[in-house]
Amino acid sequence: MSAADVTATPTRRPFTGRRVRFGDVLLQLVAGAAALGATVLVGLIVWKLVDGSRLALSKYGLGFVTHVAWNPVAGHEVYGAGSFLFGTIVTSFFALLIATPVAIGIALFLTELAPRTIRAPVTALVETLAAVPSVLVGLWGILVLGPVLRTDVEPWLHSALGWIPLFGPPSSSGASVFTAIVVLAIMILPIVSSISRELFLGVPPELKEGALALGTTRWEMVRGVVLPYSRGGVAAALILGLGRAMGEAIAVTQVIGGGVFIHWNLFSTGDTLGSKIASSYQGASTQLQAASLIYLGLVLLVLSLAANVAAQVIVRRVARKHGVTRGGHA
Amino acid sequence: MSAHGLSGPRVRLDRLPRRRRVNATMEALAWLAAAIGVGILGVMVWSIASKGWSALNLDLLTKPPIPFSLTNAPQGLSNAFAGTLVIVALATAMALPVGILVAVYLNEFAPPSIRSSVGLVIDVLAGVPAIVVGIFVFVLLVVGSGQSAIKGAFALAILMLPFVARTTMEVLALVPNSLREASLGLGVAHWRTTLSIVLPRAAGGIVTGTVLAVARVAGETAPLLFTSSIAGTQTSWNPTHALQTIPVAIFELSESPDPKDHARAWAAGFILLLFILLASLTARWLSARRTRI
Amino acid sequence: MPRFGTSIRIASAVAAAAALAVVVAGTAGATSHTRSNATITGAGSTFVAPLVSQWISPVGGAYGIELQYSAIGSGGGVAAITARTVDFGASDAPLTPDQFSACKGCEQIPWALGATAIMYNLPGVKNLLHMDGPTLAKIFMGQIAKWNDPAIAKLNKGVSLPSTAITIAHRSDNSGTTYNLTDYLSSVSPAWSSQLGRGVAVNWPAGVGAKGSSGVAGVVSSTPGAIGYADVAYSVQSHLKYFALENRSGKFTTPGSRGILSAASSDQKPAADNSLSIVNPPKKYDNAYPISTFTYVIVPLQSSKAADLKHFLFWAVTKGQTSQYTAKLRFVPLPKSVLVVAEKAIAKIHS
Repeated sequence: MSAADVTATPTRRPFTGRRVRFGDVLLQLVAGAAALGATVLVGLIVWKLVDGSRLALSKYGLGFVTHVAWNPVAGHEVYGAGSFLFGTIVTSFFALLIATPVAIGIALFLTELAPRTIRAPVTALVETLAAVPSVLVGLWGILVLGPVLRTDVEPWLHSALGWIPLFGPPSSSGASVFTAIVVLAIMILPIVSSISRELFLGVPPELKEGALALGTTRWEMVRGVVLPYSRGGVAAALILGLGRAMGEAIAVTQVIGGGVFIHWNLFSTGDTLGSKIASSYQGASTQLQAASLIYLGLVLLVLSLAANVAAQVIVRRVARKHGVTRGGHA
Repeated sequence: MSAHGLSGPRVRLDRLPRRRRVNATMEALAWLAAAIGVGILGVMVWSIASKGWSALNLDLLTKPPIPFSLTNAPQGLSNAFAGTLVIVALATAMALPVGILVAVYLNEFAPPSIRSSVGLVIDVLAGVPAIVVGIFVFVLLVVGSGQSAIKGAFALAILMLPFVARTTMEVLALVPNSLREASLGLGVAHWRTTLSIVLPRAAGGIVTGTVLAVARVAGETAPLLFTSSIAGTQTSWNPTHALQTIPVAIFELSESPDPKDHARAWAAGFILLLFILLASLTARWLSARRTRI
Repeated sequence: MPRFGTSIRIASAVAAAAALAVVVAGTAGATSHTRSNATITGAGSTFVAPLVSQWISPVGGAYGIELQYSAIGSGGGVAAITARTVDFGASDAPLTPDQFSACKGCEQIPWALGATAIMYNLPGVKNLLHMDGPTLAKIFMGQIAKWNDPAIAKLNKGVSLPSTAITIAHRSDNSGTTYNLTDYLSSVSPAWSSQLGRGVAVNWPAGVGAKGSSGVAGVVSSTPGAIGYADVAYSVQSHLKYFALENRSGKFTTPGSRGILSAASSDQKPAADNSLSIVNPPKKYDNAYPISTFTYVIVPLQSSKAADLKHFLFWAVTKGQTSQYTAKLRFVPLPKSVLVVAEKAIAKIHS
C-alpha cells in the first residue's frame, strides 16, 4: 500500500504512485474495447453501405446521385437518385423554413414573455411533441392532416398564390410533398425550439439587464443581445433540425405519394431518399435494384453525417468561445 | 431612464413610439408562435387520444390480428405488444452495458484528446438516420440468414447507444473527484473504485438516461422494417423469430382501407404514446429527485 | 445513504419485473392453445393474401401446422424465398430465368386463380361503368385527366359523368398485380408497351403510390375520383366498384367466376417452368375477363420442412380451392389440367 510500490506496466495510470492491479487492466481493456467498438461503428456503417451498393457504384459511379430515373422494368433497368435527392432537399428546406420562425418564437416566448405559471406547462407540451413517434405523426398525417390540406388549405393557397410555380394545382388525394413538408416541420419544431430555449436561457442575465437598463425595448434587447449571443448555437440547432428532417423516412413515406420526377409544384406527389427506401424495403426484384436502394441509403448517410458533423463542430466552437469570454462582452 | 447611445443597442428617445409598436408586434408574434406550437401539438395529441381512446378495448392486448378478415370477429394486436416488449428489452440489454462501458472508459481512463474525439464520434452516431441503421443491420446480418427479433433489437441498440453513453458520461463527470481519490487513497483498486463507488453514485442518472433511450426507440419503425417485419400473427416470445412490433403494425395498418384497421392503429398508437410519455415523465421525475437529494 | 438508495432501486426493479410479468401473462393467454410443432412461414403476393389467410386455421386444424404469411408484395416474396428467410414465397408474376438461377433450386407452382379488378371511387354514379383497354392505358399514362373525358363518355353513353379529376393509385412496391396489369396494358396499347412495358414495377408517369393491395384500396376509398387496381377480393372487402372491361370479343366483362374461368380456358397447358398466361385472351373466349391471372407459390425443391410443406400445398391446391374459401373472395378453383401439373410439382419437394 506504500506509494513506492510501483509496478512497471505499460498501461496509462492517471493516478501515479498506485499499484496497478489485474482488475484495472481488465476494466480498461474491456471498457476501451467498448469505446473502440462504438467509434468503429460509424465507419462500419459507411463501409457496409458502400459494400452493399457496390454493383450500383461500379455501374453508375457518382452520376447516380444526380440522375433522374428509376425504371425497374426488365430490359430497361436504370436507376438514379436525382429525383429523390431533390425531394429530400426540397422537403427538408421548406420544413426548416416553416419551423424556424415558429420554434424561435416559442423559445423567445418561453424565456422572455411567458408568465411564470404557464412557462412549465408549455415547455412540457412542446417537448411532448418530440416524444410522438414518427409512425404516429404519419398516421395522423394520412388520416387527419392530409384530407384537411387537400380540401381546404391547398385550394386556398393555389387560388391566392397560384402564380408562384410552387403552388400549382392542388393534389387530389391528401398525399403530396406539401403534406410531407408540414409533417416534417411539426417533427423538427421541438428540437429547434428546445435547443434555442436552452441557448436563450444561457445568455448571461447581466448582458440582458444591461441592455434593458439602457432603455431598449424588449424586442431590441432580444435582437441586440440574445440573438447575437446565441447565434452560433441557434445555427447548430437549425442544422440539427435539417439533419433530422432529411433522415425522416417513415412519416414522409406515409404521406408523400411517391413518384420519380422533379416538379416544382409542392402539391404534387414526390419521393425522398428515405421514403423511397422505406417503401421499397421489402424486396428488390434484381441485384442491381437492391444495390441502387443501398446506394440511396449511402447518399442519405453522407448528407446526414455532413449536417451532423457541421452542427457538432459549431456547438464545440461556440462552447469554447463562450467559455473564454464569459463575463466580458464587446 | 434616458438613453445616451453608447455602445450596445441603438436607442433613440425620439423614436420611442415606433419602437414600442415594433416591440408590441414582435411580442404578439412570439405569443402567436407559442399558440401555433401548442395548437398543433394539441390538435395532434387530441386526435390520437380521442380516436385511440374510443377504439381502446381489451381485445387489442389479448387477441391476435386476423389478416383480411371478412367477418367482424374480434381481433387485436397481441403479437405486436409481445414483440415490442421482447425487442425493446433485448435492445436495452445490449445497449446498456456497452454504453456504460464506453462512458466509463471515456471518463475514467481516456486522455482528454481521446475523450473529445470519441465523444464527437458518439454524437455523430446519434445523428445517423434510423432508416440507415436499418439498412446497415439488414446488409450486415439479415441478408442470407433471415430476420429475427434479436437482429431488430441490435438495430435499436445502435440507436440507443449514444444516448446511454452520453448521459452516463455526464453523470460520471458529476461524481466528485474527491470520492475517487478518497477511495484510492484507502488502497482500493482503481477498477473496484469505479465499479463499487463511482458507478453506484451515478446509478440514478444512468437509469434516467436508459429510460429516455427506451422512450426514444420504443416508437422506432424504420430499423424494424428491415429486421423484424415478416412475422406471424400468433403471439410469440421467441426472439430467434421475427416478431411483430407496435410501430410496424401501426405503419402497416395506416395504409389500409378498412376503418376498423385504422381504429386499431389509433388505439395501439395511443398506448404507445402513453408509454413513451410515462417513460419521459419518469425520467424527468427521477432526475429531479436526484438533484433535490 | 447509499444502502437506503440501493434498496429503493431494488424495490423498483422488482416492481417493474412484476408489472412485466403481469403483462406477459396477459398476452401469453392470447397464444393459441393448440401449439403445434411445425411452423411454415411464407411471404409475398398481396393478391393471394386474402385466400391464404382463409387457409390458416383449417390447415392448423387438419395438420397442426401453424401457417404464417406476410403479404409484402410479390417482389418481396421472391426476394425472401431466394434468401431463404421464409419457407415459401408467393408471386403473381412468374419468375424470370435470372430469378430462377438466383433462387438456386426453386420451382414455381400455380396455386390459385383470380383476377385484377380496376376499382374506382366516384360518388354519385351508381351505374356499372364500362372501360376498354386503350382508354385504360391512356388513363394510367396520365393522358386522361377527368372523368367526363370524351373517351370515357363514349363507353358509357347515357351516364352523366362528373368533371372530377382522376387520381391514379398505383403500387409503390414490387407487385405481381402490377405485373398482371402492365402485361394487359402492354397487349392492348402499343404506346404503353414501348414507353412503360411490363414489370413488377414501372415508371408510373402519374398518380399516387401506395404499399400493398390494401394501400391501393385505401387510397381509392379515401379519394373521390380515384382509380386503382388490386385483386378483386380487395374491392369486395372495401365495397369499391370496379369497371366492366371490354375483352377482345367486344363484350364488357366483370371479374367474377364466369369471366375468370373463361379466361383460364385460354391457356390450359403450363409451360416448362409451370407458368401460364391468360391475359387478354383471344376473341373466341368471349366471356373472358381480360385481366385474369394465375398466381404461384415458389418453393425450394429441397427443404427441411418438406413433409409439412407438401401437406400444406396439397391441401391448398385441392381442399383450399373449394368454394367455402374461394367463392366470396372471387377466386376460382384451379382447372383440372393445371391441378395435375401442380400436384406433380409438389411431389418433387424433398428433404
